[in-house]
Amino acid sequence: MIAAWAPLAMLFWQPIELPLRMRLVMFLPLALCIAAVYRATRSKRVEDLPKSTALAFMNITLGMGALAVGAYCLYELVLWWS
Amino acid sequence: MRSDPEIITKSAIAGLLAWVIPGAGHFWLGKRGFAAVFFVAITFPYFTGLALGGIKLSVNPYFNGWLFLAEMGIGGYTLPAYLLNERGEFPARKAAELATSQTVPPTDPQRMKLNELTSYYPGADVAQIYLAVAGLLNLLAIFDAMMRVQAKGLPVFYHEAGMRLEDADAETARGSS
Repeated sequence: MIAAWAPLAMLFWQPIELPLRMRLVMFLPLALCIAAVYRATRSKRVEDLPKSTALAFMNITLGMGALAVGAYCLYELVLWWS
Repeated sequence: MRSDPEIITKSAIAGLLAWVIPGAGHFWLGKRGFAAVFFVAITFPYFTGLALGGIKLSVNPYFNGWLFLAEMGIGGYTLPAYLLNERGEFPARKAAELATSQTVPPTDPQRMKLNELTSYYPGADVAQIYLAVAGLLNLLAIFDAMMRVQAKGLPVFYHEAGMRLEDADAETARGSS
């Protein structure tokens, strides 16, 4: 089994370098995957998934965006206060 | 929860298959659409994380035990990766010791060699998040596969989605008649 995995694993031996500006962009595909799995565990039929996944993705993205803005405002407030 | 031995066995097999390969449990249950969704949505973040972090310190229980525990949510990916990690010049334990050593200077040839296989910010952070999330998402997929056996096709959170077990029973009865 390991022998079968070896050529594939070699692709992951040397880490790929991630540009700094891509750090935040990488949130989007992960949020989409989380939304898809989360909605799949709540759907009876797979046909319901695209719409509910898109909605969940929007909710996660907007929610995290709002949290980021809130945290940034708090940070600025603390800086201004001190 | 049904206590029929046949259902318990089927449920355990579905869970085990889902642990080995994301979506395999659903595929075995005949839910191929869900199987494809789970496979893609869990395999993608796992291998993206692995590519960004590198296998040497990302799948290493001696370097980050908690991350390894989360990764073990996908046994079929993590175990072969770990066994591969044990091979070569830097087995997992040696790599972890070398990477965290305070006494080995950065100019040490072995350390410099290991540095080439090590991921740093921001790749390392993103890799850890991707790998941990993939492993934990697969736990959801495992529970869902097991639950769909127990609840005749209803998802793991069917209570929250307003579904009732009786509806699944009625649908199954209609399907068989």
